[in-house]
Amino acid sequence: MQTIIQQLYSYRVFHVKNFVASESEESKELAIGMPLSGATEASAKLIKVRSLESTFKVKLDEVVPTRRKPIKEVQEIIDKNLPAIEQEVEELLQRKTHSEATFKEVDQHIKELAPFADVPIPFEMYRGYASIAVFTGKVSRDIEIPFPHEKVFSPSKEGNFLALFTPLEFRDAVQKMLDKSNFIPLPIPKGEGLPKESYDRAIQQSVSLQRDINQVEKRLTDLKDQQREVLAACEELLMSEVEQTEAPLRFAMTDQAFIVEGWVPESEVERLKAGISLSTAGKALIKEMPEDEHYLPPVEYDNVPFAQPTQLIVDTYSRPRYDELDPTLIVAIIFPIFFGIILGDVGYGAILLVTSYILRRFITFREGRWLLDTLRNASISSIVFGILFSEVFGFEIRFGEMIWHPILFARHLNIGAGAAEGGGPNITGLLLFAFWIGILQITFGRLLSSVNHYRHHGVRGAIPQFGWISVMWGILVILWSMFPFPLMPNLQGLPSLALGLSISSMLGVALLIGGILAIVTESALELVEIPTIISHTVSYARLIAVGLSSVAIAMVINFITIGMMIEPNLEHPSVVGIVLIIAGIVVFIGGHFGNTALGLIGGGLQSLRLQYVEFFTKFYKGGGEKYNPFGMVKRFTED
Amino acid sequence: MAIENLTTLQITDPAVLKAAAWGMRAIAAAIAISATGFAAAWAELSIGSAAVGATAENKDVFGMVLLLTVIPETIVIFGLVVALLLLF
Repeated sequence: MQTIIQQLYSYRVFHVKNFVASESEESKELAIGMPLSGATEASAKLIKVRSLESTFKVKLDEVVPTRRKPIKEVQEIIDKNLPAIEQEVEELLQRKTHSEATFKEVDQHIKELAPFADVPIPFEMYRGYASIAVFTGKVSRDIEIPFPHEKVFSPSKEGNFLALFTPLEFRDAVQKMLDKSNFIPLPIPKGEGLPKESYDRAIQQSVSLQRDINQVEKRLTDLKDQQREVLAACEELLMSEVEQTEAPLRFAMTDQAFIVEGWVPESEVERLKAGISLSTAGKALIKEMPEDEHYLPPVEYDNVPFAQPTQLIVDTYSRPRYDELDPTLIVAIIFPIFFGIILGDVGYGAILLVTSYILRRFITFREGRWLLDTLRNASISSIVFGILFSEVFGFEIRFGEMIWHPILFARHLNIGAGAAEGGGPNITGLLLFAFWIGILQITFGRLLSSVNHYRHHGVRGAIPQFGWISVMWGILVILWSMFPFPLMPNLQGLPSLALGLSISSMLGVALLIGGILAIVTESALELVEIPTIISHTVSYARLIAVGLSSVAIAMVINFITIGMMIEPNLEHPSVVGIVLIIAGIVVFIGGHFGNTALGLIGGGLQSLRLQYVEFFTKFYKGGGEKYNPFGMVKRFTED
Repeated sequence: MAIENLTTLQITDPAVLKAAAWGMRAIAAAIAISATGFAAAWAELSIGSAAVGATAENKDVFGMVLLLTVIPETIVIFGLVVALLLLF
């Protein structure tokens, strides 16, 4: 068993299908396997290594390997060096905890002593009187006491200190007076001799404790820097040991034999077979099973590099199943375009583009890089659409006197100074533009769905999908025959054939009825979903709605800062004016950064949602199992 | 008397009439946006809290609950479309 596990582990192509014990007749004899010997020890060691790593705040993914160590060497380190390191770390930590606790006590003591330190009266003099009452505390100002008394007043920034000695019979009267003048009593600290001496001693002690704590921390950091890679190597080795020794828990076992089931990529089957037969001298029986509809194989993406970052987006929804189309490439193209339509602004796009490159320095792990790649694509698209919409931070793009007019549609709202020139937004154009995108994407989604259904159920499966397309276009054709729409074909003028219906409206009705019949072939209940055709299409209006709100915020920021705070004051400079100009610049920068963040969230989430809700629901189910081969990519150790 | 005056009040100035009509459209647009805004927020309130709970139980459902949370946003988008159509 150990040989086979080692072989499977080293090839790293075998996706183990976990064995589930069941009561059925054929698998009654089978039980879940027991871990190999050494599993417990390896786990215990692994826990120790991980606890050391958590003390040092070392994370395996973040350590960059400089040299791969042979396994023998790492084994030796685990057995010999680790216990010593562990002991040292434990002692250091204990010392640190102790020092910190003492430091806190001393610090408290210093706080108690501080008010007394400036008064040259030994502590003995504050205590032990039979006929004199002593008051010590803080007051806001010196107080005149109309009784026989002895008073020491020491003014200081943290609060004036007052020590008052008065015969016992006046105690209550003095107390009342003090209460009236906001006297805060302070306890007399323990100790002998002059307070100043105690105070200096405590300060010294605290300094030396602080030094000690710093020393321990420095030693811990040094240790961390020295041992970081060693620890990572140890963790990697132990992890692979634990995974291998505990592998039988995923196998089925009888008294004499064991069974491992799993998936291997087709190209690797022969290599793995040969390897196992060789190492077991042919004692292992390897059988290839036909594909089973109930157990779909695990899925690994196979995408061009451009689309790979988008796998993250698709995985967030769900991994594709083995038998359906992978939408990653499509989403990789459409998502940035939608983002650009929503946040089409050269300025914001540039900020996001620069941000994505700056963050690259700090984020090195693969998923993070993918996210940054997606952000980069989205911001480039945002810049492109910014040029098409002629927008930079909500202004029109202009070079000197020349104004760059929007190529697509104007989104400039009538806010503030530049309103008249912009001519207002082309709302109808934008809305219909968004609806067109919706119509096309939904049709595309249904087409993909018909491919998926065709694969499973043949032509009969694909018919309802065409039915949905037909219903949608039928409704469109009917609408076009009844009302004129800009940007859409106008079928109003066609001559009527019969019953007052023109040829186009008859075509529309035919498409609608034919589509409904096609949907019914699957299930009549599906007809309930017909309103979603309209609601999903209208939902694409968010492409312009969210975009317009972002433009509106940008223009309001510009109007408030430039139109109301900066420009009027530049014309008539004054002191208040300069302050207002500076405030205006601050608000301008802060506002646009805030709006960029809002646009990132709004644009990202809304275009993501259009993919997830409006697009994926048409054809994509997901729920595939991730291909996770048994084995490990070794970064710190080598055989 | 005041009431009599009101009932017989006739506005004939076309500029005033136009402004009044425009004001009505603005009010209608405001109602469309605010009512749908409240509706969307109300719907997302319960979905959102349930979504956070579900994610705390099982992180894998994050993508699914994110999707569920943004579904009611369509309501306010519809409101916005109506408002924009009213105004422009």
